Amino acid sequence: MPAHPGGDRHGVAGVDWPVNLIEWGLAGATGVAVLGALVALLTPERARSVVAGIAVAGVGGAGLAAGVAAIAGEEFTAHLPELLPLFGVTLTLDPLGGLFMAVAGAVCLVAAGYGVSYAGGGHGNRSRSTQATLPLFTLTLVLVPAAGSVSTLLVLWELMALTSLVLVFTDHRARPQVTSAGLWYAVMTHLGFVAILAGLVVFAAAAGGDTFETLRTAQLSPGLATVVFAAALIGFGSKAGLVPLHVWLPRAHPEAPSQVSAMLSAAMVNLGVYGVIRVGFDLLGAGQRGWWLVVLILGAASALYGILHAAMASDLKRLLAYSTVENMGLVFLAVGVAGWFHTLGEERLAALALAAGLLHVVNHAGFKTVLFLAAGSAVRATGSRDLDALGGLSRRMPVTTALFAVGALGAMALPPGNGFISEWLLLQSLVHPPAGAGVTTALVLPVAVAVVALTAGLAVATFVKALGVGFFARARSRAPEQAVESPPLLLATTGVAAAACVALAVAPAALGPALSRATGATLGVPTDVVSGALTVRLAGIASTISPLLILAALVAAVVVAALLVQVVARRPARRREAPLWDCGAGPPTPRMQYTATSFAEPLQRVFDDVLAPETAVDTHLASPYLLARMRYQRRLPDRIEHWLYRPVLAVTAAAGRAARALANGSVHRYLAYGFFGTIGLLVALVVIP
Amino acid sequence: MIKLLNKIRRTGRVAEPAPPRPPLSCPKAERLAGSVQLRHVDAGSCNGCEVEIGSVFGPVYDAERYGARLVASPRHADAVLVTGPVTRNLAEPLRRTVAALPEPRIVVAVGDCAINCGEFKDAYGVVGAVEDVVPVDVKVPGCPPTPEAIVTALRGLTGR
Repeated sequence: MPAHPGGDRHGVAGVDWPVNLIEWGLAGATGVAVLGALVALLTPERARSVVAGIAVAGVGGAGLAAGVAAIAGEEFTAHLPELLPLFGVTLTLDPLGGLFMAVAGAVCLVAAGYGVSYAGGGHGNRSRSTQATLPLFTLTLVLVPAAGSVSTLLVLWELMALTSLVLVFTDHRARPQVTSAGLWYAVMTHLGFVAILAGLVVFAAAAGGDTFETLRTAQLSPGLATVVFAAALIGFGSKAGLVPLHVWLPRAHPEAPSQVSAMLSAAMVNLGVYGVIRVGFDLLGAGQRGWWLVVLILGAASALYGILHAAMASDLKRLLAYSTVENMGLVFLAVGVAGWFHTLGEERLAALALAAGLLHVVNHAGFKTVLFLAAGSAVRATGSRDLDALGGLSRRMPVTTALFAVGALGAMALPPGNGFISEWLLLQSLVHPPAGAGVTTALVLPVAVAVVALTAGLAVATFVKALGVGFFARARSRAPEQAVESPPLLLATTGVAAAACVALAVAPAALGPALSRATGATLGVPTDVVSGALTVRLAGIASTISPLLILAALVAAVVVAALLVQVVARRPARRREAPLWDCGAGPPTPRMQYTATSFAEPLQRVFDDVLAPETAVDTHLASPYLLARMRYQRRLPDRIEHWLYRPVLAVTAAAGRAARALANGSVHRYLAYGFFGTIGLLVALVVIP
Repeated sequence: MIKLLNKIRRTGRVAEPAPPRPPLSCPKAERLAGSVQLRHVDAGSCNGCEVEIGSVFGPVYDAERYGARLVASPRHADAVLVTGPVTRNLAEPLRRTVAALPEPRIVVAVGDCAINCGEFKDAYGVVGAVEDVVPVDVKVPGCPPTPEAIVTALRGLTGR
């Protein structure tokens, strides 16, 4: 940002800031990012990751500071007409944008330090393109929530898509599947961009202006508003991995280097949620009830579908990516419920549901960062993402295992974890239906409760599998047997994220004011949604929860149980050391352990109709009676991809092949195309009045 | 009503009075105090002995009323019943099974084959008699031994 933005500044009522933190933060972030990218281009390979890491940390830190300042009440608006032709750049930040900016900044701050050590060890690419793109990607993550006009949002959104695409392609020389994942991502993200572009351009045209302030005051016909919202939901939803637009996410997120995976999965997907909240609640003024029912249903479907596939996955990072689909589904469910209540006029419940969604965004960012970074450490040490080839890491990499466990606890949504508190809030908003609500509400809310409950149960199975199969038990192959613990910087950065998770789990009420401001800014009614210090109190509902007391009770129970075991074990007993009884067949081998696939098998049977696994058995007969060899293969392809995308891809490919007949290499023909095309156009212009 | 209850109580109790109690057949069995859990290992039998063991624990001979009982793991057992000559494939598993027994390890060789290889002496797949592989405490001769003989040997272990 230039030093003299042409915007107005406001201090908060009662607080007089010496400088506008947001302005300085955003200007600093932009400067550091551009400078960092340039320096990274020029420095030799060894120092490049350090330069990029410092730049990413600077941008992330500045974003975090600016976001926190916005939540604290500082306001900022800037119009920079010279930066972008026609409309110029408009930046503005309110508490809602500040929350998303702070989350993105914090995630990037942690990922920066991790990335330095990760790339320094020869993992993650140290190429010029990757390292120079990292600060720019971070900058777009931080700036998108500050966009104050349609054109600014679209430019930043597209920059974010392009820079993240470069980062997804990082390892394309090492693994061929990276290219395929990158192509999926490129196509899906641009289809999403087209949807957002179309929706917002139509909106801006109808409103007669480009800035969000103009859009807020626009009077749209209900039909047009629905078109705009649908386009925005498709575009932003595809970025957040909303079913059925999620197919790129479990492909692209795992293929990026681990710190980039964390940035994609913990920060970038959030911006999809941000977009829907911004357009749906803020710009369109919450609109019609039917929209939010669609959001709710899509969110519920994403949550279930995502966690079901996560439970089946045997690739550690793919599992985490599907878990992102699940968590974003839960957030969209919360947003849908909030919109539903808002249109019913139940402001308190709407604020509660929206606060639950936003808190889940924060919590998910926390534990997903920990999980992806810890998983990255495991992948770095073993060279494998396949859970069926891991195991036994708890002895070789105890710190990484402990950190992954903290993240897994959060993702499981069980009491001492941080994911629990936001899901509890969501359930609280669902189980207190407003008085005199209609039949649809009475039908939708219990189903939503069931979806959240089932999702939580499957999440427990998923992360017990990820932790139990991947990190505990005995090593299933040679690589995890020889794994060594990660260098201190990797552990320290992951540890910082884990500490944040613990803090969120123990004292979620500390976020209460931030959530209240963000929901207040969105719904237009300031309410104290969540209050209290150690005990969380909910506005309008007689429900309280004290995470610290729960934690204390759990710790006490564990200590008592451990002491009892000690007491019992002290009793003198005659003991004989004996080998494990193995049915006489020889000692058990690691191959006899549960694998990720076998652990998920019962669940797979239960959900057979949804997952529809493909089984192939090849038998080669030596003679009519003797079998020479047999091959059994079972795959669990993404059914939505199979049924929805394959036909489209097939038709597109066929159309492309058919279109080849048009271009046969004859120059005369091409000239003729131009000639007749022009004539046809002129005729059409004459005929059509 | 009382008559009916008595009838129900008596129904199924068709066992004859037990023969006189035999003396303990193995000094180790004293520690077992009347209850012997048995693991059966077929080390290469023709299944003749198995048929007899089956009837030992059937309703007619009912060895369980003397305190002997078949279990599914050597970890739960006090003694093993070994039948048949020990074949090459089963020699090592037999050793491990006996090693997995808790003290006192009692081995009962049931049938002529288990005692001296019987019909299968010098067969190409046979390692030897049970005694050649693990120490044997009690022997029950016969090809196959009668259920009465097996029951008598087991009562020698339970002492009841």
